[in-house]
Amino acid sequence: MTAVPGPAEYAIEAAGVSKWFGPVQALDGVTVAAPPGSVLGLLGHNGAGKTTLVNVLAALCRPTAGTARVAGYDVVRQSREVRRRIALTGQFAAVDEQISGRDNLVLVARLRGTGRRDALRRAAELLEMFDLTGAADRPVRGYSGGMRRRLDLAASLTGRPEVLFLDEPTTGLDPAARLAAWTVVERLVRDGTTVVLTTQYLDEADRLADTITVLAGGRVVASGAPADLKARVGGRTATARLAGPDAVRAAARALRTEGLGPEYDPRRDVIAVPLTGPRDLAVVARTLDAEVMGDYELAVTAPTLDDVYLSLTGPARPDAAARGAS
Amino acid sequence: MTAVAPARSAAASAAPPQDAGIWTQLRVLTGRSLRALVLDPRLVVASMLGPLLMLGMFSQLFGSVARAPGFPSGVRYVDFLVPAIMVTSALQAALNTAVGLTQEMRSGIIARFRSMPIWPGSVLLARSAADTVRCALQQLLLLVLAAALLGFRPAGGPLGALGAAALALAVGCCLGWIFIAIACWIRNAELVQSVAGLATFPLVFASNAFVPASALPGWLRAVAAANPATYGIRAARSVALGEPALADAVAALSVSAAVGAAAAALAVRGFRRGG
Repeated sequence: MTAVPGPAEYAIEAAGVSKWFGPVQALDGVTVAAPPGSVLGLLGHNGAGKTTLVNVLAALCRPTAGTARVAGYDVVRQSREVRRRIALTGQFAAVDEQISGRDNLVLVARLRGTGRRDALRRAAELLEMFDLTGAADRPVRGYSGGMRRRLDLAASLTGRPEVLFLDEPTTGLDPAARLAAWTVVERLVRDGTTVVLTTQYLDEADRLADTITVLAGGRVVASGAPADLKARVGGRTATARLAGPDAVRAAARALRTEGLGPEYDPRRDVIAVPLTGPRDLAVVARTLDAEVMGDYELAVTAPTLDDVYLSLTGPARPDAAARGAS
Repeated sequence: MTAVAPARSAAASAAPPQDAGIWTQLRVLTGRSLRALVLDPRLVVASMLGPLLMLGMFSQLFGSVARAPGFPSGVRYVDFLVPAIMVTSALQAALNTAVGLTQEMRSGIIARFRSMPIWPGSVLLARSAADTVRCALQQLLLLVLAAALLGFRPAGGPLGALGAAALALAVGCCLGWIFIAIACWIRNAELVQSVAGLATFPLVFASNAFVPASALPGWLRAVAAANPATYGIRAARSVALGEPALADAVAALSVSAAVGAAAAALAVRGFRRGG
């Protein structure tokens, strides 16, 4: 092989990427990197800049400032080389409604330069892989939402891309289809594909991503391995629903003497206890059993994206703002 | 690096990047649009209703124009009108192309094409080619119905009528790029519908379509003279009526081709532009 650039150290490499749409800044100096064969998770709420970043990396729109290289090629100056090596599955199923699922896959494969016979073979393979063989020859307009997303993902794989962009691939999928999509991504990565995945779900990023970059307001607010991020967010929380306000106050007192830090709203019957040590949950259960009158319900909740956001971007602190203004 | 290198080269060797040539792109993309047409022939029939209605109405409404001064003597109004309707219905078909294109842009399939290593122009060219085929079917249908129902019997005979249809097709296909350009820059189906609809209005009415240009009021005659559709209509009419038409046809084709080429360049630029 006489490829012009040597093997790139990073499959994805963006440095100081900013993007303005008129007066609106969608990206503000974003820097990310991912080695070949890894999964880069872009985590953030709607409007955080995830899709814009994907569009810049997929050479669909030019950055206003900064540079990005994908599969070793510059997304602005070598966009054609980039397009040859990537595939994109966007938030909306990019399939032709009028024609059948099989024809959709053959169409995309043919446009990627595959001969007719190979395109048909690849289409059959992908239909099988995504459990669409039964519906293969029906027009896509009759497909369910989940089938459409699966076909869309299959279409992205016709060309065996080096880098695959998945923009919220599991939004709107039922749990089984979501799991199936995750399995496909894991298999691709095992075969050496680099995946860039945007998601609003922490568990999805946690399961798939090697590196997570958290975006908020177009800026990178955190970046690291899932475990690192979760460590920064803190652990799980035990939540107990008690019989009434008196029980809540009693429980809070008792839990504090055990060295825990319960939080509660006196108007509600719920008390929340951040779990920091491995034995904390047992302590909570024991204390509630011993000290609290009446029945209670105990649940453990994992950190959500909101928690990540709050801990990484910091909660809104009106007092701090007021102090700054004075 | 050495840890990931083998996996990477395995993926890369499975798919040596090799692009489809422009001809393959055009063939595949045109085939896709035509397949939708074959699957749903109602599209052809439905888009014929407007031109047929126009033809039926105007041939009755304006029949008396044939007795007005300035109207070519010895020509029946229906024979005068049908070549013009051919051109305007070709423009109408081009407008539908543009609206269809914006709807596709919204559906996401166009975003996929844009993220692939293909020439952006081939997506637009294929769309135009498929709709030209559709428009050709419409022209034939229009000819048959006009002959059967309205007594369309131009002096140029069947050959003249077919020649007029071919000219209308060529002019419509070229001028249709105006609408495609609008679609590529606006990208909103409703807005494209109204903007392109507005553009159609002067193209169709500020022309020699319904009355001879010489019978138009002075200012409108000036507008009609600058209207590229006027050239197409004049040429289609001359061919249909069996008059010497070479000069008109050359004028019509070169004006339309020039306008079309400029619009196509704008369209590709708009299409390439990142969202």
